[in-house]
Amino acid sequence: MINDWEIVMGLEVHAQLKTESKLFSSSPNQFGSDPNNNVNYIDAGMPGMLPVMNSGCIDKAIKTGFALNFKINPYSVFERKNYFYADLPQGYQISQFEYPILTEGFVEIESENSLKKIRLERAHLEQDAGKSIHDIDPKYSFIDLNRVGTPLLEIVSYPDFSSADEVINYLTNLRQILMYIDVCDGNMQEGSLRADINLSVKKPNSKLGTRCEIKNMNSFKFIRQAIEYESKRQIEVLESGNKIEQNTLLFDTSTGETRPMRSKEFAHDYRYFPDPDLLPINISQDQIEKAKMKIGELPNQKLTKFIDDLGLEKDIAKIIISEKQYAEFFEGLISTKLIKAKTAASWLVGDIFSFIKDKNIQINEILNKSQKIIELLQLVEKGTISSKVGKDILIEVLEKNKDPGLLVKELGLEQVSDNEELEKIVDESLSGEEENIQKFQSGSDRVLGYFVGKCLKATKGKGNPKIISDLLIKKIKK
Amino acid sequence: MLSIRELKKKLSEKKISVSELFDEFYKKAKDSQLNSFNYLIDPEKNKHLINESQLRYNNKKEELLDGIPLGIKDLFCTKGIPTTASSKILENFIPQYESFVTASLLNDGAIFLGKNNCDEFAMGSSNETSFFGPVINPWKDSNKTNENLVPGGSSGGSASAVAEGICVASIGTDTGGSIRQPASLCGVVGLKPTFGSCSRWGVVAFASSLDQAGPITNSVEDAAFILNSISGYDKNDSTSSDHKRDNYLENIDKKFDNKITVGIPSDYLKDVNSDIAEQIDLAKKHLAKLNINVIDVEFTTTEYALSTYYILAPAEASSNLARYDGIRYGYRAQGETLDDIYINTRTEGFGEEVTRRILIGTYVLSAGYYDAYYRKAQKVRRLIKEDFQRIYRDVDFILTPTAPNEAFKVGEKLDPITMYMNDIFTVPTSLAGLPAISIPSGLSKNNLPLGIQLIGNYFQEQSLIQLASLLEKELKFND
Amino acid sequence: MTDINIKKVSYLAKLKLNDEKATKYEKSLSEIINWVDNLKKLDTEGTKPLHNITEKNTNLREDTVKKNNSTEEILSNAPEKAQNFFRVPKVVE
Ligand SMILES: [Mg+2]
Ligand SMILES: [Zn+2]
Repeated sequence: MINDWEIVMGLEVHAQLKTESKLFSSSPNQFGSDPNNNVNYIDAGMPGMLPVMNSGCIDKAIKTGFALNFKINPYSVFERKNYFYADLPQGYQISQFEYPILTEGFVEIESENSLKKIRLERAHLEQDAGKSIHDIDPKYSFIDLNRVGTPLLEIVSYPDFSSADEVINYLTNLRQILMYIDVCDGNMQEGSLRADINLSVKKPNSKLGTRCEIKNMNSFKFIRQAIEYESKRQIEVLESGNKIEQNTLLFDTSTGETRPMRSKEFAHDYRYFPDPDLLPINISQDQIEKAKMKIGELPNQKLTKFIDDLGLEKDIAKIIISEKQYAEFFEGLISTKLIKAKTAASWLVGDIFSFIKDKNIQINEILNKSQKIIELLQLVEKGTISSKVGKDILIEVLEKNKDPGLLVKELGLEQVSDNEELEKIVDESLSGEEENIQKFQSGSDRVLGYFVGKCLKATKGKGNPKIISDLLIKKIKK
Repeated sequence: MLSIRELKKKLSEKKISVSELFDEFYKKAKDSQLNSFNYLIDPEKNKHLINESQLRYNNKKEELLDGIPLGIKDLFCTKGIPTTASSKILENFIPQYESFVTASLLNDGAIFLGKNNCDEFAMGSSNETSFFGPVINPWKDSNKTNENLVPGGSSGGSASAVAEGICVASIGTDTGGSIRQPASLCGVVGLKPTFGSCSRWGVVAFASSLDQAGPITNSVEDAAFILNSISGYDKNDSTSSDHKRDNYLENIDKKFDNKITVGIPSDYLKDVNSDIAEQIDLAKKHLAKLNINVIDVEFTTTEYALSTYYILAPAEASSNLARYDGIRYGYRAQGETLDDIYINTRTEGFGEEVTRRILIGTYVLSAGYYDAYYRKAQKVRRLIKEDFQRIYRDVDFILTPTAPNEAFKVGEKLDPITMYMNDIFTVPTSLAGLPAISIPSGLSKNNLPLGIQLIGNYFQEQSLIQLASLLEKELKFND
Repeated sequence: MTDINIKKVSYLAKLKLNDEKATKYEKSLSEIINWVDNLKKLDTEGTKPLHNITEKNTNLREDTVKKNNSTEEILSNAPEKAQNFFRVPKVVE
């Protein structure tokens, strides 16, 4: 809120569906191919070509329906949205208008430490457009139709957002959910998830102001910048006594400003009408039930389970559920029941995460090392090795796929828990330390740490710190 | 004119070779002065098909249409062969794919002579909107023999070519009467199957919810031959019907076992001229001879059919023709910006009637008019369908004139609405999606052919063909 | 008479009409729209629009990939192409 202004936002999120083929053609739905390689005659809008609906997209829409608390409509209709654009070969986009596949859902997000319900108006299936490339040649644009026909689910919210934080929390949750149910790969850089932000400002208790739509945002950083810039712009316009013009805006990432897309002589008039090449989609109860079975656990359900059943701390559990692949990796580690959930969790968010971050790899790339990680953590839990040694061995396991058990034996890294041996070392550490012993006896705890460290050093880190500390206390107190 | 059955007999008895038959037609087509072909396929290109066909005859393994030279309306995409929809905007377009219908014909051994002229994007009833110029009807008014007459449209090139005898048969498309009306004006047979019978895959779209392929032939039996080839379920056309197809030749020479009833809508005959009324009386007489029951029926929606059609068809067309933008194929006009290219390409590429229909369609779909026109027309379309269903509770077939007039002079009808009235008897059937056939019934006072239309119930092509064949034999038009 | 804004209609359809043509088409469209206006006489209250004669479900395709054509075939009719792209004058966004 700036000078008593409120920001009101609604979101239209385009999620690319993770399917093998396109919405209405059998071309591969694949990112990053050579230009016009994933294009067939239907995608190119050749004369006489006809669309045939991909059944996989219906399943994905139903799953999304469940996950986002939508009503799944047994009857929905594809319509044509007519407009001309270089990326749009048919001269229309096949979308849903009057009868969308999903209506009236909601998502809960965190806002200022409480839960807020974001109401969703609808979600509909539609085709993506192609891409124009403008930076190859100063005089020409180049058109690549690979993306044409990629299935999209457009999820439209009510104007329930009042801050950039809420928008980002929502997108984070939404992305998480869609990835959990295997509907979308969530790759925002590749444009798998893109948001249009409808933004207006108003004074408290007054009616909604005129809105502008900021198109095609796919980075949290830029979303925050765009919301800040645009809300400020609108407030300034209104405070100087002018009116907001309803407009479609682009966010210029180089200047951090929004600007209107080329102004049009006449307003858009999309002339929606039911696509005569397609018949309505009818979804049976049976189909709904089947799709429901395939949903699996949602992020929130996992979070509750990790905290309540496995006793993880909330912060750690949240990190683990933040990506489906993390949660699955974690569940893989503990599924053997050979190690404690807490141990697995703290090693995962600690050393394992730092490793993948350092190496800039995905967690799935170390999936094949799960068994060895479990062995290693068992050695730590049993006290065979210290956690310090464990950390070093972990790197060996992850980098060189070494066997932890063998490594420990080869290098003689077993933790020394033998009392006699440790007693000798403790005694040695105390000799000539009269002053420090006295300090300890007069109540300074810090000195204990000093002695433990000294002993560990003497064992080259292999001494069991618990036993060392117990021995020290016993000896000094005597 | 020999029928497909007779030609096949001659070929199998080696009275003529496939190559000789083809050359005979190719020569006639090349020499024709009626402009009924936009494009003739170089015979060299057909050589291997001709040889393969001959081989099948030699081995007595001939297919349904083996070696039969056909014309194809220039609306069907044919692989490697120019496909223009008789429009400047597709003047140089060569598809890399074969339409379902033409692929079926090739599969059954047919050999294509070339692509038949038609109205631009099948929009017209006289074949005068073609970018390649009007087609001439081989028939002449007995009083004005030096006047060129139109063949009807939009499948005017197909009808003219079959009537002239330069191809054995041709495949047309019918959206509001585009097979039946030209068949009537050229004195040949034209069959529009039930919507969903023949796949629209690879047919340049005009109005998707109405377009349907069908044969234009010399006889009802030839139409049955062709329909056997082109009717079939296609999983690539979402509106294709998966019902089991009959053998349309099966009952062609049989009388009906049970008593059947033909309804004649009195409201269709209210304002027809005496030539047309005479055709219906004639048909009635022959039906009686065939011991077929004839009753009067009356529709309540006929006067709304053309209005409904001229909202829905242009609406769909305005969207179907949006893909012609000069970017990926076809004609491209010069322009400095992308928008200029779009506008110049479309402005220069589309002819007058196509432009008019795009404008009508755009208007009726635009904000503020959608409910009053487009949605209203879709509702009336349901009433028209229900009107037919009501009539079909009492009758097995409906008999009407095919067109309200005989062939008219090239350049005569300039006013669009007058032209649209040509389809007054064919459009209701199209809106209802029913199968209908036009057969020649007699001659007008000016000695020009006239046709009658028989309409069947959904997917009843077999019995429709049976009735048409019985009536054809009675009427003896070709004798 | 009707209230056809022929300039707007032709703009939406990406067609350019000079003044003479605009007048001609406006008149023609008005006549046709007046002609089809007889539908207003018909009571359609409670009648459902008929999108398609075949009032069935749309048929569905398995989610599998089929590639039946090359990039060259897709580009074979292109008025202008370069490096496997379709080429057009620079698009300003
Ligand atoms: Mg949107
Ligand atoms: Zn969208």
